[in-house]
Order: sequence, then C-alpha cells, then structure tokens
Amino acid sequence: MVMAVKELGTLHSVGKGIPRLDADEKVRGLAQYADDLNVPGAWYGFVVRSPVAHGRLRGLKKDPGFDWSQVVVVTPEDIPGNNIVDLMGRDMPFIAHDVIQYLGEPVALVAAASRHLARVAGSHIRADIEELPPLLTLQDMVARYKEDPAQLHELASQTIRKGDTEKALSEADMVVEQEYSAGHQEQLYIEPQGMVAIPESDGTMFIHGSMQCPYYINPELCETLDIPPEKLRVKQSAVGGAFGGKEEFPTLLAGYCALLALKAKRPIKIIYDRNQDILYTTKRHPSWSRYRVGVMKDGTIHAIQTEFLLDGGAYTTLSPVVMYRGILHAAMGYRCENVAIDGHVYRTNTFPNGAFRGFGAPQALWAWESMIDELAEACGMTPHEFRLKNCLHQGDSTPTGGILRDSVGSPTVLEKTLERANFSEKLKQCSHGRRGEKKWYGIGLSFFAHGSGFTGDGEARIKAKVALDLEPGDDGKPVVNVRVSSTEMGQGTCTILPQVAADALSIDIRHTAYPMPDTFKVPDSGPTVASRTAMVVGSTIFSAGKKMKAELEAFVSAELFDGQPVVLEQDRFCGSYGDKEMSFEEAAAQYLSRKGSLRVYDQFKLPEFIKWNQKTFEGDAYPAYAWGCNVAELEVDTLTFEIRVTRVTSYWDIGRLLNPVLAKGQVEGGLVQALGYAMLEKIEIKNGKYDADRMQTYVIPTTLDIPEMDLHFVEFPYEHAQPGAKGVGEIPMDGLAPAIANALVQATGIRMRDLPITPEKLFQMMHEEKTA
Amino acid sequence: MAGWNERVTDLSIASTMTFDDVACAFPASLQEALELMADEKTRGRLLAGGTDLMVQWESGVLAMPERAVSVKALPELRTIEETEADVIIGASVTHMDIRRSPLTQKHVPSLVDAAATIGGFQIQTMGTIGGSVANASPAGDLAPSLMITDGAVVLASVRGEREVPITAFWTGYRKTDMQPDELIVRFRLPKMPEGYREAWRKLGPRQAQAISKVMGSCRGCVEGGVVKSFRVAIGSVAPTCVRLYDVEKWIEGKKLNEGTLAEAEKRTSDSITPIADIRSTAEYRKWVTGRIVRGFLEQFADQ
Repeated sequence: MVMAVKELGTLHSVGKGIPRLDADEKVRGLAQYADDLNVPGAWYGFVVRSPVAHGRLRGLKKDPGFDWSQVVVVTPEDIPGNNIVDLMGRDMPFIAHDVIQYLGEPVALVAAASRHLARVAGSHIRADIEELPPLLTLQDMVARYKEDPAQLHELASQTIRKGDTEKALSEADMVVEQEYSAGHQEQLYIEPQGMVAIPESDGTMFIHGSMQCPYYINPELCETLDIPPEKLRVKQSAVGGAFGGKEEFPTLLAGYCALLALKAKRPIKIIYDRNQDILYTTKRHPSWSRYRVGVMKDGTIHAIQTEFLLDGGAYTTLSPVVMYRGILHAAMGYRCENVAIDGHVYRTNTFPNGAFRGFGAPQALWAWESMIDELAEACGMTPHEFRLKNCLHQGDSTPTGGILRDSVGSPTVLEKTLERANFSEKLKQCSHGRRGEKKWYGIGLSFFAHGSGFTGDGEARIKAKVALDLEPGDDGKPVVNVRVSSTEMGQGTCTILPQVAADALSIDIRHTAYPMPDTFKVPDSGPTVASRTAMVVGSTIFSAGKKMKAELEAFVSAELFDGQPVVLEQDRFCGSYGDKEMSFEEAAAQYLSRKGSLRVYDQFKLPEFIKWNQKTFEGDAYPAYAWGCNVAELEVDTLTFEIRVTRVTSYWDIGRLLNPVLAKGQVEGGLVQALGYAMLEKIEIKNGKYDADRMQTYVIPTTLDIPEMDLHFVEFPYEHAQPGAKGVGEIPMDGLAPAIANALVQATGIRMRDLPITPEKLFQMMHEEKTA
Repeated sequence: MAGWNERVTDLSIASTMTFDDVACAFPASLQEALELMADEKTRGRLLAGGTDLMVQWESGVLAMPERAVSVKALPELRTIEETEADVIIGASVTHMDIRRSPLTQKHVPSLVDAAATIGGFQIQTMGTIGGSVANASPAGDLAPSLMITDGAVVLASVRGEREVPITAFWTGYRKTDMQPDELIVRFRLPKMPEGYREAWRKLGPRQAQAISKVMGSCRGCVEGGVVKSFRVAIGSVAPTCVRLYDVEKWIEGKKLNEGTLAEAEKRTSDSITPIADIRSTAEYRKWVTGRIVRGFLEQFADQ
C-alpha cells in the first residue's frame, strides 16, 4: 500500500479541474433525490412526537373518534428486535417507552396512504406525560458545571496530559485566563432528510434515500429489525448536501420507515419538510471552553490548561468522538511541552447534537485562536509575531506527543498568507474604536490544522475496503466502476475518485464511472466523514487501480501480444518490442469477452510508525494534518455597529490537489458556512423549543454577504499513501470565526467571546464599557 | 385545527388543511370582486401576490381560510399614474413595478429603495403594495416610505370609495381600518416637493432576503444648514410603523450641528419602546433608531 513517489506515474486526471461528473444530470434535473423516487404502493410515514422536553411517559391515548382502520400505527411493542439506536452509546431508543429526554422525541409512528392523512392521524394520538424539569441551554449547563459537575449527566469525558501543567503554570511569567462559547448551528443542506423503506418479497428490507454513510444503517438497523445483515440492503439516492447532518441521523429515519414498512407490509416514505428538519435533526454541539495559559515574557507558550465542554443533547450518539476531535484541536498548532486538556459532554434535554463539518474542531479552534490573540496581546506582541514564534514545524510534537514527520504545511501557509494579505502593514491601519470615523477597519488572523481521517486508531480499526470492477457499461463498452461506500453529497466524491482510478490505471477518465453506493454491491470503505475520503479512500483506490493495471497488462501480454512485456500508458497498451499497440477500450473488451468481469480489491493500511493509545490519548492522533491560515478584514459602520467582512485572504495545505476547481469550491463553501457560524446563525430555546425553526428565522449568508475571497493552495502531499491528498472537507469551517473576532478587536477594541458576533452584542459591550 | 391534541409541537400538524381545500375565486373585474366581498357567503380572504399569506398558511402561523378572493390580476389595480400633486399606485402593483417606474423613481424615491430590499426577485415580482400594506406587519418595508408622504389608502366596497390617511390606516399589531367588505384599490401619494429629498435605511440580519430589524424613511428639506421640513417614519420598533411627530416638530427650524444632531438622536430613542424578538434586542433597536434618524439628518446636512 505504501508507495514511493516514483510509482505515482504521470498524472493526467489528478490535479486537473475536471468538471463534476454528476453536473449534467443535476443541472438537467435528472438526478433522483429521495423525494423523486417513485415507489409504487408507498405510504407516507409521520412521527408523533413528545410535546415536552423532559418527562415520564405514562402511556399513549388514541382518539376513539378517529377511524384507525385507514392508517398503521407503530409503538415500541411492534419493534421486533431491540428498541435501541446503536451509535457510540446504547442509550437512545427509536421510539420512547419510558423517559422522554427531548421535545419532539418520537412516541409513535404513523403511516397512511397520503402525507396529509398521516399527519391528521398523528394529531389524534396523545402522549400522557408526567413532566420533569428540563435542562435546556448551554448557559444553564455551564452554570451547573461551575457549581458542581456532579449535578450533570455526563455522556462522555476524556483527558490529554503532556508534561506537568500545574507546575509549568506556576513557573510562567504570566497566566492568562479566558472563557469562550458558541451555540447550535444547523447544517441547512438544500435537500431535507428523506428516506424510503421497501420490504421485498424475499424478506429483504431495502432502504433507499438521502444519506452519507450506507454502512451506518447496516448494521445499526439489523438489531432493531431483528434481521441478518445480508437481509438489509441500503442504497444512497442523490443527496442535496449533508455537511454531517446526514451522517448518523438517517439511521433514525431509516428505522422509522422500516418499522412502519414491516407492520404495513408495504413501502414507506418519509420526507421531512424544512420545519421538521430544523426542529428534529442533529446540529453542531454548543460548546464552552475555559483556558489558563502560561506564557513567558519572550512570548513562549509554557503551559496550556483547558476544559472543553459540549452540550450533547439528549443522548450519547456520536458526541464522544466530536469531543475527541475538539480536544485534539484545542491546543494544536503551537509548541508547548505542558498541556492538560479535559473534555466533557453533558446531557441536555434537546435533540441530540451531532456531526457537522469540522466535528468539534470549529468549536475548539474558535476558542483557541481567539485565545492566541489574547496571549499575543498579553506578551506585547502582534498576532503574527506571536504565531510565527510558537507555531509547529516539521519534527515538532503535538499536544498528544505525536511527531509531525512529514507533509507539514506549517509555517508556510502562515507566512504566505501574512505576505499576501500585507498583514503587518494593514494591522497598523486598524481603527481601535477611534472617535469621529464613519467606518472602523480591522484585520484579524487565525492559523490552524485539521487532522485528516478518523481520530486516533479509527482508520486502523475500519480498514477501508474498496473495489474496482471492470465490466460492461450500459452502452456495452468496458467501464471501470469505482465500488465504494463513500458517497457523493455535493462535495465531489463521484469526480475525484474516478480521477484517481483513471490515473492509477493510466486510462482516460471517460472509461471510469462511479455508481451510487449500494451495500449489496460495494465493500465498506467507511463513512463519508472526517475529511477522509480523498486521502484514505482515494489512496486505496489508487493502489487497487495499480493492481488492476498489472492484471490487464499481464492479460494483454499473454493473450494478445505474444508474451512480450506490456505497459498500459495514456489509454494504450504498448508492447515493449514496439510492434504492437492496442487501445484500452479494445483490450478491455477482449478481456471481458474472454474472461468476464474483473474485480480487484484493496484495503487501507496506516503506516507502521503511526502509534496511538486510545485510552491515554498519547501518540499520533491523525496520520496527517491539513493546514490553513485565514486573514479576515472587516468594517464596522459606526452609526449602526453593522459589521461587514470585506475580504478573506487564505492559504491552504490540503496535500496533493486532486481537483483544484472542486477544492476551491469546498473552501469557498466552507468559508461561507463559517461566516454564518461567526456572524448570523443562532438558535435560542424558548419554552423548550428552538426559536429558529424555518429559513425565515434561521438566517444564513446570501451571496451578497460573501466577502472577497483570495484563496490559494500550497501542496505538501501526504507521503505514505498516493496520490497524497490530505482532505479539504472540513478545514475551511475551522478558522474564520476567530479571525473575524480578532479583526473586530482591532477595529473596535471589543473582544467578543461568544458566537455569533452581532451588532446587538457589540452595542451592548460598547455600552457596558462606556458606563463601566 | 388539531383540536384533539392540544399541545402540538410541530407547526406542520397545527393546520390539517391544505391549499387544495381553499376555494379561491378569481374575479375578472373590480366590480365583480367588490360584489363577492359584499356578501358574507361569497366573501373570502383577499389574496394578491400571496408572498405573505402562503408562507403563513403553510407554516400554520395563520389558519387557512375556507375561501379566498384573488385580486392580483384585476386590471383596475395594476397601474401607476400621476396627477399634478400625487402619484397614484394601484393596489396590485408589484414591488418590481415600483422599482422600475419612472414616476415612483422621481416622486417617491424612498419607496423605490424600500421595494428593492424586499425579499428577492421572485418575491418582488409576485408581492404587491396592497398586499404588503394589508398584511399590516410592523416589519413591512414599504410602510415608512408611504407614511412620510402623508398620503392616503383608498378603500372600495359596493358602498363606494373612502380615503384613509396612511398614518391612520394601521390601528394595531396586524390590525387595519378595513371593513370586511372592503379592499384596497390604490394609494394616493403626494409627490416630493421641489428641493426636498428622501432617504431610506434598512437594518436586517443580512444583506438580502432579510426581514428588517429596524428600517425607516424620511422626507425633508435642509436649507443653509437649517431644517425647513422633516418627516420621518420607522418600522419594526412598535406594533405598527410609526411617524416620529415629536422629533419632526422639534428639529424643524433648528440649525444642524453636533448639539442638535445628538439631541435629535436622543429624542428619537426616548420616543420609542421597541420589543426584543428573534431578529434583534429591544436595547439595540431603541439605540439604533436614534442613530438612523441622526444619519438621515447628517445626510441632508451634507448637501
């Protein structure tokens, strides 16, 4: 698997801005999203929900006046297997049967011939609940934590220890203490959640719909449906955006559909409308960080002590790993030999929070990169001098003691961004809240790394499996099908993976294809998460492609070219005697007619030297890191305190660029999502319920809110798996919020430590400062 | 409504009707529409572009009516005309029509600026001035620019027409002076006099597709640094859009300088008691309204 650079060969597809292979069908409206699936005989499912956030379920009452013969109702007694959604914890039921932990928790499922009738029937079921006091907000959670953490229900915790932090804090010239917080963020993909469950005549349950991770649903659902994995087929339909929101949640929706389908003995479809989708699906975890950092007079970071808290919502779900990624990034990026980090996830009575682009890192880096500016100020240094002095270099050790052996984009991305943005000069022009100006100008910096692939030993445990199939395509011509469970959800998987396969084989990309993942046809290449697809799955496909290439060369040599050595190069098989040549298409057709289809497998392996202790969190937390640096410039209207981010300058090291156009699209989109997180998106809880439950009230950026973006890549390819991509999916989400907060300080003199950054908060803090 | 289950959490089951259940009439003429509205048995919820109502019905915020009467296509309500003194805008004129008409651009420029900030192109093409005014939302973006003209809403029924001053049309939060058999036919807006100017300012959470946190318009004239005339109206800070008569009266005749600007700002903030909602806080709204009025005066003083 590990391959030296010389074996990479010439690249014809990788590195090119090849147009998305799914563009045509999506632009022409041919792509089939979950709601487009025409399933004859399907009924519509509806979830009946708890109207209270916390309580004890005494029972359900069905309106005796309603005609129940026209609908199907599922309650926990109808579940054939265990009423458990098996994620990181086994504490969440599909349908509540005892304690209600969040407002909207399912108490029954209903299906009917029309969506409308299912809803009407749902309104005739009443849950009898003895109410209990709920814990709803991050603020209340943190207040209890400070008072006594024992009052809280802990869903997960983890520590990181390096050196002797308490001793180092006492040695430091200065200790700076600060707290930061951030609220919920909704993924707000264009296509809401949707799923269909079809019970087949042979006893197979076929799940078809909008999802990121087909192999989450199988096996998770098998236990609940009490069927063997080979009787559960999961296929992805076209997905209109996911951002983590379709990582674990679709298992719930698939469960609702399948349970109804079993009882109704017919296909069931559930498509959430936007209101349901915002109220009853996962969101980014609200977070709170507290730092005590010891620095020396010369600006050296001597000790980092931090607590990182996540509001987990009602159940464990994926929260432990979100917190792990959070704490692994909470002190990352800078040299320090004394680090103590404590991560906790506590239960609150809201919908379980879950995966969202960045997965804990944006929350951690929001706090840490704000803190870095505060430390620089405490040391009397500029933000860039302080970062340049302390940032990690190749060979340095991370907070978990992992060594940055190779492909280290630090400090290059930092230096290049500073130069490109003319940071040190522009920093001198900042307004600092001077009176008499119509606009205040500020510039701010953030610098960060994002671990590529699963945290810790995740990749070693999953051992991503891929297959390449040489088989006849729809037109009868040979095609190399990429068989993976890694999904296309708008980010580019269905283009970059064929690019990699084409270059591994040295064939034209038109001979490759990416069929929609179907667990009956593809091996488990792992979930499409954690910025892992390009690096982990891409490199495994590359080595599978090399295997297929060797197999085909051997075939052509033996059976077509009289035994002479053969090389497949740029779509042609060439005999080494120079007298024989054959196109890939012709030779592959010969292969198919003589030997039938060809399947090659491969499996991802981490390099031997990657060591990780999952218990103590010591060692190499990730096989590699992507690196990024953001400079944000903003203007504050001194009349109204409206804040406008005018320009973002950034450099990114995401390893080898597989497709620069798609990579740029990922960065631009991620920065816009980060802009929303930083300045617009907020959900508060009023009477137990999210106050923003529609696109009217949940406000995300429009094109007019997007600043000028000056984006550049520098390539430090991952050296231990070709072609050397490191991952770009999440890192653009990580650093913009602190860069904006840091710019706001330079513009106004006000430090914002809670997201989002709004004119209302700026007004309040300016006012408090004036009256203080 | 879902009477049996009283504690619905889900807006989507708050209403068990769909738009298919609404009987919608499409009268061909104004007279026909007035006759439909005259009779309790044929009367329905007036529907123009539907950009407010459809959303409220769909989300369950407003119960769907049994009947609706569509007035969007009535030819009598679709023109923009002028007289010596006034611009006359039909009730079914769209926001896009207002943006594009040379008459509105010349005589009521802040109305044009306001129309340009409503929703996006799709909403501006469907939404109408009559619908926006009848919807009576305090965040209705056209309201301040209408109020500062001292113009009138013309209402019609089979009983005849009557004029209501725009400043008296909204009687409370989402309440109007309309009778059940009436509909809005047009707006009579006095033209901006020679030498006068108008200004518009909207603060929303984002740059487009935004519902206002605070917005306002003014019409006035400053000569030699002295305020000759000033009318100002602000939306989203009270149950209805409000004219700030006390501030207007105080500033008229004053010379604009830091002292009078600061005083105008303070008097403005003191004159309103906005509420907090999902878009903004009461404190910010109170403060920033004063700032907006100050900004208007500064803008006029710069001329």
